[in-house]
Amino acid sequence: MKNSDKTTEVRIRRIINKKKGMIKLSLKVCVHCSICSESCFLYQSSRHDPTYTPSYKAINSIGRLYKKKGRVSEKEYDEIRELIWEKCVLCTRCYCPVGIDIPMLIASARSICREKGIFRTYDTGESKNK
Amino acid sequence: MIKAERKPLEEIYNMVKGYSSILSVGCGGCTSVCLAGGMRETILLNKELSDCFMKEGGKAVFSVVVTERQCNEEYTGDISDLVSECDCMISMACGVGAQLLAETYESKPVFPGLNTMFVGKDLDVGLYQQNCRTCGDCKLGYTGGICPITCCSKSLLNGPCGGTCLDGSCEVSRDIPCAWNKIYERLKAQNRLDNILNIHEPMEWIDKGPGILVQQGYESRYMKEEKK
Repeated sequence: MKNSDKTTEVRIRRIINKKKGMIKLSLKVCVHCSICSESCFLYQSSRHDPTYTPSYKAINSIGRLYKKKGRVSEKEYDEIRELIWEKCVLCTRCYCPVGIDIPMLIASARSICREKGIFRTYDTGESKNK
Repeated sequence: MIKAERKPLEEIYNMVKGYSSILSVGCGGCTSVCLAGGMRETILLNKELSDCFMKEGGKAVFSVVVTERQCNEEYTGDISDLVSECDCMISMACGVGAQLLAETYESKPVFPGLNTMFVGKDLDVGLYQQNCRTCGDCKLGYTGGICPITCCSKSLLNGPCGGTCLDGSCEVSRDIPCAWNKIYERLKAQNRLDNILNIHEPMEWIDKGPGILVQQGYESRYMKEEKK
């Protein structure tokens, strides 16, 4: 393993450890009631696509990363990237009846992804005026 | 959204050249979207600064972190472990983000890496146009959705001024369309030309200091906090 990979792994572990208690508790207490979906404007405007449900996005991003300590495949990172950037704008409006801080979970997943060099690129290289 | 551009490298280098451990803090909000202060741009800045240090015979350790939104305490407070390891920070957020970062970590110098330019619209990738000066007293309702404060060279509230050229451009420059000509044309098309005849009193351009906005419906919540 290269040094830079080691550093990345250390930093990912640091992020996970910092939020460990909250992540663990959140994953444990989520009862999949899907009430949070009602508060997500992206869910509402995506014809109720279940992959836009805030809890789904959190469980399948930080949940995966936490359980595997950030050691997920590139394909999985791509899937996570889509969930936490393309399907979430982090407006922080999501509501959980049991008080899970979903934005915090998504933000943690984003921090981990950034350490792996995965983040949203706003310059798609495509000009509107071709 | 807020649009910003990176400061000249030399200016940033001059601010941080005396430090040996520098943390560049990007922002995942507006400055990421306008391609000025996201992860990619922050990494690039560090590389360029590192080259400057090498050229000048100096040495410094650079780190990068991106907060989701630097204008939100919840996210700026989240990087305390990284901040404790650095000598100074470069904020790649707008002026609000840089100030909040400096306020959150008072013992560490925070230097702005960006110039906050304006609130604007996206014309194309990396191409933006100012459309709002956030004056706090929106006039778009009677100007057909065209802002005279931003688009008129003289920011006239009652126009046009008489300097409109026959081709609809402004006397200041033929390249600038006369905002009030555009307003006239739009109002005419909407059959609302009476709007242009109303005289509007000057705005209160008084420096009110840092403004506080309490959104409608939230007044009682913050009134209570004040009483405490």
